Amino acid sequence: MLNLQGVCRTYLDGEPVHALRPVDLHVEAADYVSVTGPSGSGKSTLLNILGLLDTPTSGSYRVGDVETSNCGAALRGAIRGQLFGFVFQAFHLLPGRTALENVELGMLYGHNGRRQRRRLAMDALERMGMAHRAKADPRHLSGGEKQRVAIARAVAARPRVLFCDEPTGNLDSANTAVVLDVLRQLNTDGLTLVVVTHEPEVAAEATRRLGVVDGVVVES
Amino acid sequence: MRLGDLLREAALSVLSHPGRSLVTAIGTILGSAAFVASLGVGSTLHQQVAAAFDTRRATEVLVQAEDPGGSHSWLDDAALGRLTRLNGVVTAGRRVVLGEQPMSRSSDLRRPPTGVPILGVDPAALRVMAPQLTAGRGFDDYHERSAAPVIMLSETVAGQLGIRRVGVAVFIAGRPYTVVGIYRDVLRRPESLAGAVVPYSVGDRLDQPGTSQVGKRDVLVETDPGAAQIIGRQAPLALRPEAPSELRAVAPPDPRTLRREIESSTTKSTLMISGIALLIGTISIGNATTASVATRTGEIGLRRAVGARRRHIFVQLVLETAVLGGLGGLSGALIGVLTTSLVSIVNGWAPVIELRIAVFASMISMVAGMLAGLMPAARAARFSPVQALQK
Repeated sequence: MLNLQGVCRTYLDGEPVHALRPVDLHVEAADYVSVTGPSGSGKSTLLNILGLLDTPTSGSYRVGDVETSNCGAALRGAIRGQLFGFVFQAFHLLPGRTALENVELGMLYGHNGRRQRRRLAMDALERMGMAHRAKADPRHLSGGEKQRVAIARAVAARPRVLFCDEPTGNLDSANTAVVLDVLRQLNTDGLTLVVVTHEPEVAAEATRRLGVVDGVVVES
Repeated sequence: MRLGDLLREAALSVLSHPGRSLVTAIGTILGSAAFVASLGVGSTLHQQVAAAFDTRRATEVLVQAEDPGGSHSWLDDAALGRLTRLNGVVTAGRRVVLGEQPMSRSSDLRRPPTGVPILGVDPAALRVMAPQLTAGRGFDDYHERSAAPVIMLSETVAGQLGIRRVGVAVFIAGRPYTVVGIYRDVLRRPESLAGAVVPYSVGDRLDQPGTSQVGKRDVLVETDPGAAQIIGRQAPLALRPEAPSELRAVAPPDPRTLRREIESSTTKSTLMISGIALLIGTISIGNATTASVATRTGEIGLRRAVGARRRHIFVQLVLETAVLGGLGGLSGALIGVLTTSLVSIVNGWAPVIELRIAVFASMISMVAGMLAGLMPAARAARFSPVQALQK
């Protein structure tokens, strides 16, 4: 599914920073991968490269059969929009729009029409158990509810891979449990998960655990 | 991704943050309001000025002889009858303009007499002048026929002589005249406001040909609205068919030309003020959008993450500022129209509101908003999604 070969990322502003040392990584479909490591270790860089939000300095990254390290922004955007979903620590829900509209936003730049987007969005909210809050403003939702709306937005268009960057970072233990349940269910249904976290109990959920220290990725 | 989706997204973004949108658009609202209100009040005022001008001056013709010492045959009843029968003439009457005559009050003969310009007018000419009386009355045919020694004083002259009521006498060249009326204003021939008016027959008697005090004779004509120019051409022929070139008719300039002149001169300054207001509106949208883009990096990063390309971000933000500009312009135009109506109501004027000015203001504001959005939109489109999502 996702195939990194000799990928490294170096930031060249002034003193070169080796955020990611050359790494070979293969993520299979329906894998549940966790990535842990101290702050600044390069785990976010790994996630951004895997999610096509960032480009590697060198090496090859294949998504399915497509080599992405040298393709254009349009194709990268299309892959990101159609195959990937993203969940962030800060939720990034737009205030002033309903939960449903926020979920629809995830498909805005894809190929679905407006009616189709609404149907898929409502469907995703139902799967997250959030259908009853479809008309709610995110400002009036609890942390766990916000993250479930954000997950609904990420999975509404039925992506193949879901990238989560500290998905429980802003949640208490009860809400963390709810979100972990949701993620486990999604994985059971066949969705590939890549979860960056610094919480051991979140990482423990994964079937495959990676650690990143000083830009070096190790399987544990 | 269709343009309709982007437009809808822009509209939603504007409408879901009414406070932010108001702050962003306030400059445009004020600019557009200033534009519509200043043009509206301006054209209302012009209409008012032009209307006043039309009713007073545009219905007036003055016929003079080229040679003041020539024959007076054109002033006889038959000539005036021919003129009055012309289609478009309301009233026409004779007048003799005498120079200053020494006038004094009966009660105070020791004081040196005051020099007062005297006009002799027949009842028809008096109707053309249409004085507004503050006391007493005007002349009629009896006074004219009998050359009655009566006089009407303007308020100015009455004040100089200390006369406040009618019935008293004033002396001109040693002869007494009874004051029958005092007038404050005239509808036509404002030169009479500095003088006094006697019947034409009396003025005729005061006129002494051969001296330096020879009076100028003319005919005052009141016409129907819009007929002044035509009557001006026909009057010399009607009054003196055998030698029309001996007479000269003075008709006011075409009111429509005059109105255009007034409008073009004041519209220029109005447009300049409005242009400055709109420029300020543009700058304020640009500033506020630059500030709001900084607080929206998370949103922009998210949009990039879910597949938006740089150009989508750019187009959406430009559309947002265009929508804001358009809405601001529209509400400003509404405020401008209300202001114009209010000013007109308070002053009792007929408001002149041109819809196309309101539409124009909204369109201009929309274009201004779009231009103002280009810079911040270009900046937002350059954000890398990784940096944007870290916020």
